[in-house]
Amino acid sequence: MPRAGVKHSGPMLFWFIAIAVTAIACAALFYAAGPRAVNAAAPELDDANSHFRLVLAGIDADVAAGKLGEPEAVAARGELAREILRLKAEAGRMVAPPHGLGRMPLLAGLGGIAVLALGLYAMLGSPDLPSQPLAGRDDAMAQQIDLDAAIARIEAQLTANPDDLRGWTVIAPAYLEMGRYADAARAYRRMMELGEPTADLQTSLAEALMLGADGAGSAEAMDLLRAAAASDPNHVLSRLYIAADLTRAGDYPAAAAAWQAALALSKGDEPWLPAAQQGLAVAQNGGVAPANAQEAEMIGQMVGGLADRLAAEGGSIAEWTQLVRAYLVLDDTDSAQAAYDAAVASYPQAFDRGDLDTLALGAGLTLNGAQP
Amino acid sequence: MSIELGHFALILAFAIATVSAVGGFAFWRSGQRIALVLSQGAVLQFILIAVAFAALIQAFVTSDFSLLLAANNSHSLKPLIFKISGVWGNHEGSMVLWIFILVAFGAMVATFGRKLPHDLLALVLATQSLLTSAFAGFTIFTSNPFARLIPAPIEGNDLNPVLQDIGLAIHPPLLYAGYVGFSICFSFAIAALVSGRIDQAWARWVRPWTMLSWTFLTLGIAMGSYWAYYELGWGGWWFWDPVENASFMPWLAGTALLHSALVMEKRNALKIWTVFLSIITFSLSLLGTFLVRSGILTSVHTFASDPTRGLVILTLLALVIGGAFALFAFRAASLRQGGLFAPVSREGALILNNLFLATAVGAVLVGTLYPLLLDALAGTTISVGAPFFNLTFGTLMAPLLLVLPFGPLLAWKRADIVSAAQRLIGAAALAIFVTILISALSGIAVSLAPLGLLLGFWVAFGAIAELVDRSKLGRIPLAESGRRLIGLPRSAWSTAIAHFGIGITVLGIVATSAWETERVTTLNPGESTELSGYTIAFDRFDTVEGPNYLSDEGHFTVTAPDGGTRQMLADRRTYVASGMPTTEAAIETYGFSQLYLQLGEPLDNTHVVRVWHKPYITLIWLGAILMACAGFLSLTDRKLRVGAPRRAAKSAAQAAE
Repeated sequence: MPRAGVKHSGPMLFWFIAIAVTAIACAALFYAAGPRAVNAAAPELDDANSHFRLVLAGIDADVAAGKLGEPEAVAARGELAREILRLKAEAGRMVAPPHGLGRMPLLAGLGGIAVLALGLYAMLGSPDLPSQPLAGRDDAMAQQIDLDAAIARIEAQLTANPDDLRGWTVIAPAYLEMGRYADAARAYRRMMELGEPTADLQTSLAEALMLGADGAGSAEAMDLLRAAAASDPNHVLSRLYIAADLTRAGDYPAAAAAWQAALALSKGDEPWLPAAQQGLAVAQNGGVAPANAQEAEMIGQMVGGLADRLAAEGGSIAEWTQLVRAYLVLDDTDSAQAAYDAAVASYPQAFDRGDLDTLALGAGLTLNGAQP
Repeated sequence: MSIELGHFALILAFAIATVSAVGGFAFWRSGQRIALVLSQGAVLQFILIAVAFAALIQAFVTSDFSLLLAANNSHSLKPLIFKISGVWGNHEGSMVLWIFILVAFGAMVATFGRKLPHDLLALVLATQSLLTSAFAGFTIFTSNPFARLIPAPIEGNDLNPVLQDIGLAIHPPLLYAGYVGFSICFSFAIAALVSGRIDQAWARWVRPWTMLSWTFLTLGIAMGSYWAYYELGWGGWWFWDPVENASFMPWLAGTALLHSALVMEKRNALKIWTVFLSIITFSLSLLGTFLVRSGILTSVHTFASDPTRGLVILTLLALVIGGAFALFAFRAASLRQGGLFAPVSREGALILNNLFLATAVGAVLVGTLYPLLLDALAGTTISVGAPFFNLTFGTLMAPLLLVLPFGPLLAWKRADIVSAAQRLIGAAALAIFVTILISALSGIAVSLAPLGLLLGFWVAFGAIAELVDRSKLGRIPLAESGRRLIGLPRSAWSTAIAHFGIGITVLGIVATSAWETERVTTLNPGESTELSGYTIAFDRFDTVEGPNYLSDEGHFTVTAPDGGTRQMLADRRTYVASGMPTTEAAIETYGFSQLYLQLGEPLDNTHVVRVWHKPYITLIWLGAILMACAGFLSLTDRKLRVGAPRRAAKSAAQAAE
């Protein structure tokens, strides 16, 4: 908000304009009713008369142009005459209300407009806020830290002064964030050379190394993590990484022990807790996510139920897609194909089938419905 | 400060509208002065809302993200046209557009309506102000477009990519012009009910407004349909989506109103029905604009589903619509019924038209609202799909189209059906001949298609038959016929053109439904596929960068059956700000037919390609454009005409009622 307080005349000027606009509007309304308000006698009848004159002229013009035969014209004039008579009779009965629009109600209305408009705006508006178009915000934008430029600046400083621990401390996580893992690893190494190799630093370096190797661990990373875990008995992150890497490497007994070691440090509400418990379960189960027999049966029942219902009653294309997808997930290609064919039978237009065709194409099913 | 001035202008317009409505209904009998004040008020409302609207556009164009609305719906990299159209591509901004058109129509009545009876003018403008007050109030209190965002973010969230299209720049303003135009008819109806007076001057006023709104609505719906066709990437042009239905219902009711207002203007009959239709049509317009906002309907059009807002909208709708119908119930009896006519007459034919159209509105309304009500009341979700609408709507339209060509050939007051039929024999024979010829040539199997074609040709040729008949073509020298043809009133031309347009649209619908072909396949660059005689070769695949999106482009070469080749470019865009993808289909027009090509989701190492051949599909929109042209033509014909009754040869006395 670099410019918000620049002009304190802003709200003043605003209120000046707002009040002026309101005054002009009210004056326009007041004078609209003013001088021209001559009291025409029975204006309604005048209007009607001019209307009927127009109609009559229209009939004559049509007759002259040969668009209307004389008998039709006589009939039309006859209808018109009856209409005029009826209106005259009605106008005679109508008592013109004597009370005109007086000056008082008009002024009250205008006052109402001014109070309503200014009061409502005072409640809802923000008269002191200036507009901030993009062009005017350029200077403000320049103050925003441009990450690339900032890193380039720090890098230049570090080249000149490679012993600047603070510089490395700032830049290392930034590298990690940007995906420059090799640079991040270099920065963490330099920090460990310049200062104490703390458990956090060792873990961060190991993290950079593992991320750089697409998640694969290395002997160096493992050594770093073990060193971190050894130096700090309460260091959770290094233990989690160790457990994860052991699981990945397939050393399940050791992995289970490592997960348990990490879980032992838990206070019960950490965000990593479910992942660690899942990891432990996988490690204890020999690397396979514990197959819950009951759950699998339930899935099978649900799919079967859906298939039965769709076969019996039909269903939306979304339900058919769900069924095909379920079979594909269960690796039951034959059933998937059968379900797809049934869906095509229900929805012969490719337009209706939507993403089902894409799903089927992607799964390698036969797309006989695609034939024109 | 322009944003705040815009905000103030909106509020001041609201204040003027509110006071105008109250004052107008309190003093409408006070003669000229109140009419003049209200006219001035209507013009002021227009100027102020224009200022507010301009302030919003200014903020969007300059990417002023201290305006919450701009921050939420704009982006500095967006092309200028979409910065502007982004103003109404959201709930709050579209409310301002709606109100802007409402006050524009109000100002037009105030400007052109000085000759109206003062009490009528005062009541019309008071009703118009009441609507402005209600909807401006709704906007200010629940959906304020001028809410600020401090500090302003560096960049905006961008507009929904599907809406970043030239179609969105045009479709809503046209549609709103149609919807809101019917507010004038509504206000006139309310004025008639309150004052208890309704005469031909009233009808003379209502018909052109109906015509203008109907024309805009026709264009708006056609535009929206074409937009959905090319932008949503499925090649469908009508989905019976609740929102489409919501715009279609006022169109159907407006078509009925157009015809009944005609009867009223020319014959002073059908008065109460016309008033009733005026209310119905605008009520359906309101439903069309706001039902989609209430959060009850979910679709592309749902901008906001804030429950409070939905409740306020529903209350507002209930008050306006319910109030109007209550007024109708109390006051309709006081209106004097108009002229009499025989069942077989132009009036009779127009009543038939009205009956069918009104029933069609009912069918669409039930199909649209029934699932909503069921969901709200019983919690059961059902979907009423295209089959329901095709069946009910088609069944209602077929007989209407069948009798349509008779209408213009019948005389007012009483007519001779046999002579009208005789004059249509040529058109009928021609329609049957052409249909048989086409069916034989294309070798279509027994289906509904030939019947549909027959209906389309019958309506189209029947529309021309009236012109042929009135110009005495073939019965008198050709030059004389030409002179007569040119000398025909423009209203006769516009009737013929509009009815011809309906025939054309029907033909397009039938042809594309009957003969559309499609192919879904996987293609790699270098491969090709074939459809309906067209060979589609996938040349190459590129990734390019647009102004605010990244695009996967498929380049295709299409060889037509006649050997000519054309390039087609279909792409899938991913918008940077939102990460949302859109598909841009490639469409090539061959004569009246189109080849529609869509690049689907990328699969491993290959591309899903969908191709449709849509025969004569452009006729659907050409017909709509013809109808709109007819509407504009009719508007230029403001000469007053009475529908002169044709007298039975020897019973001149019967002309009297």
